[in-house]
Order: sequence, then C-alpha cells, then structure tokens
Amino acid sequence: MDAIQIENVSKVYRIGEVETHALKGVSLTMAEGEFTALVGPSGSGKTTLLQLIGCLDKPDQGAVKIKGKDVTRLSANQRADLRREEIGFIFQFFALVPVLNAYENVELPLLLNSVKSSERRERVMELLKAVGLSDRAKHRPDQMSGGEQQRVAIARALAPHPLMVLADEPTANLDTENGKQAMEIMQRLNQETGTAFIFATHDPRVVAFARRVVKLRDGRVDSNGAQA
Amino acid sequence: MPLSKLWTIAYRDLGRHRRRSGFTLLAVALGLGLLLTLDGLISGVVADSLANSIRLRTGHVQIRGASFQEDQLSLQSKDLLPNPDELVAKAKALSEVKAAAPVLWSSVILNTIDQSAGLQLMGIDTTSSLYDPIRAGVVAGTWPTPDDREGVLIGRGLADSLGLGVGQKVNLTLVNSDGRPDEGTFTVRGLFSTGIPSYDQSAVFMPLDKAQAFTGASGRASLIMILLNNQNDANKVAAALSGPGVTVLTWSDLNKFFVETMASAMSFYAILDFIVILIVAVIIVNTLLMSVFERFREMGILAALGMKGGQIRVMFLLEAATLGLMGIAVGIIIGVAGVAYLATTGIPIGDKMAAVAGSNFALSATMYGRFDLNSFINLSLATLIVVILASLYPAWYAARLEPVEALRAD
Repeated sequence: MDAIQIENVSKVYRIGEVETHALKGVSLTMAEGEFTALVGPSGSGKTTLLQLIGCLDKPDQGAVKIKGKDVTRLSANQRADLRREEIGFIFQFFALVPVLNAYENVELPLLLNSVKSSERRERVMELLKAVGLSDRAKHRPDQMSGGEQQRVAIARALAPHPLMVLADEPTANLDTENGKQAMEIMQRLNQETGTAFIFATHDPRVVAFARRVVKLRDGRVDSNGAQA
Repeated sequence: MPLSKLWTIAYRDLGRHRRRSGFTLLAVALGLGLLLTLDGLISGVVADSLANSIRLRTGHVQIRGASFQEDQLSLQSKDLLPNPDELVAKAKALSEVKAAAPVLWSSVILNTIDQSAGLQLMGIDTTSSLYDPIRAGVVAGTWPTPDDREGVLIGRGLADSLGLGVGQKVNLTLVNSDGRPDEGTFTVRGLFSTGIPSYDQSAVFMPLDKAQAFTGASGRASLIMILLNNQNDANKVAAALSGPGVTVLTWSDLNKFFVETMASAMSFYAILDFIVILIVAVIIVNTLLMSVFERFREMGILAALGMKGGQIRVMFLLEAATLGLMGIAVGIIIGVAGVAYLATTGIPIGDKMAAVAGSNFALSATMYGRFDLNSFINLSLATLIVVILASLYPAWYAARLEPVEALRAD
C-alpha cells in the first residue's frame, strides 16, 4: 500500500468575490520513505497540496488517503490526532514556540502524545544530538541563529516517529551554508529513520537533494517525477 | 498534554510583553484594591454607627410599656413602666446581661437668655455602668450624682452653640405627665463629648429621681435599657424578658431604619462594584485579544503539531487566570494597606458633617475603616470569576482558528 494517495483533488479559495483554483484534479501517490520535492512557480499549488497532505485543510473535491484511510472524512479533532502521531512539519519561518527553549520545543509533540517522561528525555536528547545541537538545549529561539532554529524544527518534526515530514520552503530563510547543512541533515535522517520527507520548494538547492521531483503548474501536476 | 506545560507557555507568554501584562495586572489590582478600600470604609462606618447607636441610644435590648411610642415620648402613666426596679432586677439576673438601668425620656426645650433648643431629656441612673461611655466623655465639670437636684449634663457642641459653660443656669420647659407645661431652672453641671455630634447636640442628662419629679412621672420609667455581653444573645434575652404589658425590643428592631437604609445604600454600592469589575473585564478582554491576534501563526503551529482547540482554549484561560490571580494578590495588598490606613487614621469629616446625618445615624466626626474578611473573599472571588469569564471569548476565538488560516498570518 502507498503511504499517501491523492485522488483527483481540487481546492478553490474564495476571497470576497474572487475565486482562485489552487488545485485542479491532482492525483498522486507517494511511498513510505520518499524524499520528494514538489516544485513549481508561485501559485502552482505546491503549498496547498502540502497542506492537504498534512491534514491542515480539506479539499473541495477528491480524497487524500494516508495509509489507506481517507482523511478528508475525519473531524477536526481526528485530523489533529493524525497530525500529532504521523506528520511532522517544518516551515520556512522556523515556527518554534518563542517562549520554549530548544529542548522544550522538541519535546512538545511528545507531550502532546503523552509519552512518558524518561522516554521523552531520551528521545529529545537523541534528536538534538542528531542535528548537532546538544549544547543548545536550554537556549530559546531568540538566542539561536536561523540555521540553528531550523535544525531544532527538524528535530521537533521527527520527535513522534512520524510517517512523513512536510517541509514548506525549509531553506527560504537560510543562507547557502545553513541551507545545505539543513538539507544534509534531513537527507541523513530520511535514510536512517525511513521517514518520508516531502518539500514544497522552488529552491534548486533543495531540488538537488530530492530523489523524486513532482512539478506543478497552475494547480495541475505537470510531471510526476522519477526519482532524481 | 499536561496542564503544567500549558501553564508554562501561558505564564512565559505574559513575560513576553511585560509592560502590557504589567499594566493589565495593575488595572486588576487597582480596581480590586479600590473596591476593598471603599468597602472597608463603608463597612467601618456602618459598624461604627450601629455600635454607637447601641452603646449610646438603644442598648442591645429595651423593655418598654406596651403602648409606649418612641416618636411621641409620652409621659402619661399608662405608657410608662410602673415597676422599673423589678424589671431591672429581672434583667440583671440573666447571665447574658452586662448592665441594665431604667431611663425616663421626654421632649424639652432648653432656654437661655437669647436662644433655645429642642432636646431629648434623659433621666438616668447616674451610677449605672450603662453610661460609662458618656461618663468617660465628660470634658468639663463633673458627672451628676444620683441626688443632684439641680445639675444637668449637656453636650459640648450644644454648649458651644448656645454659649453655655459649666456652672451657668439654663431653663428647661416641658409638658408634664398631667399634660400641663412646666419649667425648671437647672445648673450646667458638666459638658460631655461622645464623638457623635448628632447625639451630643440633642441630649440633656439629669439624675432619674430629679427627672421623675420634674416630669411628674413619679417612680415610673419610659424603658429599661439593657447592654449584653454578646450582641448575638439579644433574641434569647428578649424572649426571656417578655411578658404581659411590656414590649421587648432588640437592637435590630430599634435600629431598623438604619439597618434598612444601609441595606438600600449597599445595593447601590453593589452597582459601583459591578461597574469597576466590568471595566477590569474589558481590559482583560482587550489584552487577551491583542495576544491572540499577535499569536495567530503560533496558534497555527501548535494546531499543526496536533494541539486541539480545547487545549489552546485552556492555554489562554490559564493566561487570564494567572494575570487575574497576580492582579488579585496585588489588589489585596493595596486593599489591606488602604483599610489599615482608614482603620488607624480614618477620614475626619468634622462635627457639622457628622451632625447632618441626624439622630438615626450615630456618625462619628471621623470615619474609620474596618477589615471584613468576607468582603475580601467575596470581592476577590468575584474578580477572578469575571476575569475568567472575560477571557472566554478570546480563548474561544483562538481555539476556533483553522490551522491553515493561522499559518498564513504574518
């Protein structure tokens, strides 16, 4: 069974009297452990597709299935449960909780999943070590560089052993060196853990790392992408 | 997710905007502190006035003739008590009674060469401890002895307004028990000051024997005034002293007008409480809504991680509760300081203002505050409840945000 199945999905945004067709009948499948980039110009629908896969939004038509389950039929709380257990997120603006330090930010998904205290500690330190930030555990986001914050976000995304990590423009606010470092970490963790990584990006540096590239244009899949 | 972690995020978020949190906390604190201080003042004034009335005018319990009316001050035999000494002895036999004595009341006009004043004549047992407060308040001259046939005691305020001093002669005129006008010349034996201007300016004291002779009451008394060791025993004592031909009234009956007036006044004061707490609620709503609007994206992140709407709601309620509790704590400190100042220093209003209140309100020339634990508890709880209620809308608003909308926010 494919990990993710997107079946003829459409999404329309209405702002006032203006309708924007973000996705038009998109169909796609993704296997476990993929390292895939969704690429396309602004307005191509890549972020919208990522949000639908991530159960942050629901399509107007079609279905999104995760491990065979149609998530479009789930309630808001059920979708929250699914996100908590199976999906990690990385955003271009790092998206750390500003009042929590690095340790606490990585710990947050584990707390939401009611993981025991000793297991939480072990998992958080393991992840901080994996992203090279063991010595920054007590630092808050405003005490860290952009690159360090993004690495904490990567650690947080992987904390609950998710099925997939969805990253929306993860390198957009990073310089070349930090962007490369972030991608190398995600590639390594993808290989070590088997967690799928799906990126929405128009950064060629990210595309260069992807094993599969799906091209989107005007809300449709332009090419389904072979593994790169 | 444990409540402790939600509280951690809530508490630390208050620290993110220290000035805003500080001013909001101050609003809660000042609002509550003001209400506690005002409440302490009113509580003190009411308690003080009631206590003054009891110790000077009504006592805890009175035994009266069945037909005696205080607003008429009748001297007719049928309205007076024929056997006051027996009733005093009966009262004193009760362990709850601290002091009991007969009193004869009458309306008199005090005349000087060029002025006159309508007063209440009090014929009293000058040896009774019932009158210790007045005895202690003698500021000039002497306290009359039981056999003093000429001496009267008047208030210093009255003496000053009439230009009288100790040793001077005054003329008292009244309608006696036969219904005929009568008059007598008396000597100002002493001047007293109780600190209650309305009382000091309306009473003239003389020994009971002389008052009975002057009024023609011959051995009778208007009432027996009784002070108790404990105010709460009034009903019990009143029941024990009831009998045919007499009416027994407690301090509650005797101060009914005052108590009812104060109850009406308190309901208006409750409106002030409500207005102040409402203003505090509006400030809380404003602060929390600003916090929600500033943290749209953060709400989106938390929702994306799998935090449910209910948990986000709890987080904001905890933020409000923390702010509220800290504000209440500071408000209580302000209230304690305010009431402590009023309880020790008071607010002097002067004799004229105190006298304006009239004889139904035994107001002192200085208003003192009083600690009332119930008031502190009730107002603090009310403030906390209002703060929580005020936070429901912002918390609900934050909880209902769709993650994708929140993440789009700047």
